[in-house]
Amino acid sequence: EPAPVPRAGWAPTRPPALTVESGGRRRCVTPAQQPGTGGVSLQRYCSCPARTMRGSGSGAGSLRLLLSLAALWLSDANEPGTAMTTRDINQQTRKSISDYTVKEHDLSTPGSHLTTQDFNQQTEENISNLTSAVYSISINGFSSAPVEENVILYSPANIALSCNLTSPSTDSATVNVTWKKDNETLRSSSVTFNETKHVWSTQYMLKIRDRNQMGNYTCVFKRDQEVKATFHLQVPQIEGKEHHVVSYVGDSVVLVCKSIKYIPISWIWYMSNGSDQVAVNDSLMPDKYTVDEKYANITKLKILKISEEDDRSYWCQAVFKLGESKGKVSLKVLTYMTPLKPFLAIAAEVIILVAIIFLYEMYSKKKQMHAEDEKEFEQIEQLKSEDSNGVENSTTRHRKV
Amino acid sequence: EPTATKEEQQPIPPPDGGWGWMIVLHFFLVNMLVMGMLKTFGIFFVVLQEEVGGSSEQISWIGSIMSSLRFSAGPLVTIACGKLGDQLTSIIGAGLVSSGCLISTQATSISFLCVSMGLLLGLGFACLYQAAAVMTARYFKKRLALSNAIARSGMGLTFILAPFTQLLIDFYGWQGTLLIFGGIMLNLVPSSMLLRPINTKNLQDFSGRNVHSGSLTQSKPPATLTSHLDEISTTETQVNNRLENAAGLESPVPCRQPLLDFSLLKDPFFCIFAWSFLFSQLAYFIPTFHLAARAKTLGIDSMDASYLISVAGIIEAVSQLLSGWIADQNWIKKYHYHKTYLILCGITNLLGPLATSFPLLMVYTVSFAIFCGGYLALLLPVLVDLVGVPRLHSSLGFASFFAGIAAIAGPPIAGWLYDYTQTYAYSFFFAGTCYLIAPISFFFEPSVHKWKLRKEEELNKVST
Repeated sequence: EPAPVPRAGWAPTRPPALTVESGGRRRCVTPAQQPGTGGVSLQRYCSCPARTMRGSGSGAGSLRLLLSLAALWLSDANEPGTAMTTRDINQQTRKSISDYTVKEHDLSTPGSHLTTQDFNQQTEENISNLTSAVYSISINGFSSAPVEENVILYSPANIALSCNLTSPSTDSATVNVTWKKDNETLRSSSVTFNETKHVWSTQYMLKIRDRNQMGNYTCVFKRDQEVKATFHLQVPQIEGKEHHVVSYVGDSVVLVCKSIKYIPISWIWYMSNGSDQVAVNDSLMPDKYTVDEKYANITKLKILKISEEDDRSYWCQAVFKLGESKGKVSLKVLTYMTPLKPFLAIAAEVIILVAIIFLYEMYSKKKQMHAEDEKEFEQIEQLKSEDSNGVENSTTRHRKV
Repeated sequence: EPTATKEEQQPIPPPDGGWGWMIVLHFFLVNMLVMGMLKTFGIFFVVLQEEVGGSSEQISWIGSIMSSLRFSAGPLVTIACGKLGDQLTSIIGAGLVSSGCLISTQATSISFLCVSMGLLLGLGFACLYQAAAVMTARYFKKRLALSNAIARSGMGLTFILAPFTQLLIDFYGWQGTLLIFGGIMLNLVPSSMLLRPINTKNLQDFSGRNVHSGSLTQSKPPATLTSHLDEISTTETQVNNRLENAAGLESPVPCRQPLLDFSLLKDPFFCIFAWSFLFSQLAYFIPTFHLAARAKTLGIDSMDASYLISVAGIIEAVSQLLSGWIADQNWIKKYHYHKTYLILCGITNLLGPLATSFPLLMVYTVSFAIFCGGYLALLLPVLVDLVGVPRLHSSLGFASFFAGIAAIAGPPIAGWLYDYTQTYAYSFFFAGTCYLIAPISFFFEPSVHKWKLRKEEELNKVST
């Protein structure tokens, strides 16, 4: 395979601190990492007197270019795997650009065509301002429970995950630290390890570029016991609605999903069909589903002419640069009969009460009239008897009240 | 004890019991359901915003129209009661409320809801409330404060309605909930039928003109001016009825009570009451609205805040009962209690901003609930004491109208105060100040009393 031609303006940076010569190949080791610490080591090849990456056409730049070309050719001459060489060089130059390094799982994967991609990434690094952040967990003692932390990542960034173990014991045994990603041990030169009195700290530097770097990263401290802390790197979670949305047959409903702090690239709606999820295609059925995306961080799915089949769960999926996440909204469809039944029950009870009260009123009025009729009758009778008995018998006329 | 009458037209003294307790039951239901609906509107607010759309300002218009029309429609209700009678007006009110709920289920926009939920419900509430209040005043005289307090304790139960409403909304959606609410409000129709008319045609309006009919020569020095007035009116009607029976004719009632008595607006007693009612209503809504928000700014979580509100509700109900019972013992005139409670409310609110932690806020809430319940229970009895039962409808109508203005103005003023000063402390200061301004008018009562007595004596001298 032909040796890749470096692009103009490309030159490796940062001279290595020391150079070890062995077997005709120059091996450079950057000061940050010493071989043999913490079980992490990396073999690298370097082209030595490199400084900046950005130079384009300066004199020093062209000298570096020549030297790197020479190194390339030299390694080409000795090494069977051109691809590997290139990659390693790229790797190293990438490393020498920035302070952080990317861990590759192993160096044996062929990747000759990675060159362009690497270049792209590299130029991308040059252009964009990537955020850097440090996330740390402190562990107290070897007997503490495993600690977990959720790290929300929205866009590519350079991050450092750091674990600090404080153990007051005076045991002088050495502490081994390992980093794992999703239960696979990482071997990387991007790990630092510090040991002071009773405090062991380790830091793992990561470049987050796409979804492959997301996952669970665990740092494990081991002496006689083992203690670990886990960072869950994930995309922002979308909250659907915990409670179902109620709607009626023939009506229309709007299902809303929001992503408050982070703006997704796009949204996709799914509906559940049995046990799997089917995408909701609003262009296929425009009079049934409409997706409103007026604002980028809110999506609204409007469902028209609801029928009983629409009683299912809907998922809104937010697509981010580093992955996707889903929120669930479930729809419950009722017919008008459902609330009508309690209403009719209450209405019936009301009618019964009205009838009872009405009848009671009629009854009491009748009783009153009856009593009054009786009283009048009695009075008339009394008057008649008094008249017949004579005037002297008439005393005060009682008006019965 | 109530004496059975031959005809309904025979004036009887207020029963103070008997069928009166049915009236109290109805008033209790009215308080519970009306206030419950008004208070749970906040829950509907959230749901409506999500489902029907519209800005929060538009939706809060519905609530404002509902709660202000409940007061401001007072004069309209007075006319309706005068023409149709209390029972029929109450039934119409119940019908308005339930039909408003039912129509709202078909709503598609906020303006529709403003009319169906705001207007209809507000009118219905006003009809129900005023008719029930006046009927209670007719049936109770010696135990008016206690019966009023018992009826008002229905408001204390409204805190049950909130989780119930939330449950219904989760189950049936807001439309189903409104449908069921319409049914529940329909229960007020049979309870309105309990409002048996009593003495409806007899107690006439006592105006200055009736004085020279000669019935002032009746004995008994009256305890208060209004009992004097009542005496006069009852003896007046007794005289009329005896004349009727003697003559065997139906003589027309000498003085027709105008349906809406605008002369009330010039009556100083009414002015005293209206002033105090206006300011106390202005102040009332503010602490209740802002209590939860203030708890939040102090870092108290919403569970504890709602606990605070329900505690306030219960204590207010209990305090109303106690205050009503105490007032009925007639140790001193009722408006003295009213004054004292208002002043204490004012002081509590002025000290309110000092409450910066949960226990202190609880202390504030409890004391505010006690004093608030105290003065609320006495609103109706004090009005009856000042104005008398014959003119109760008109005075309640007008007083409610002014209270409605305060009810509309109160929350926005408080909100503006918060926006301007960025702290809730000033809302409490404002409320406290209003509560302190309110009882000022009562300090004029003795002088007004003397002025009125003097005026009557002058008219007496003129007539005799």
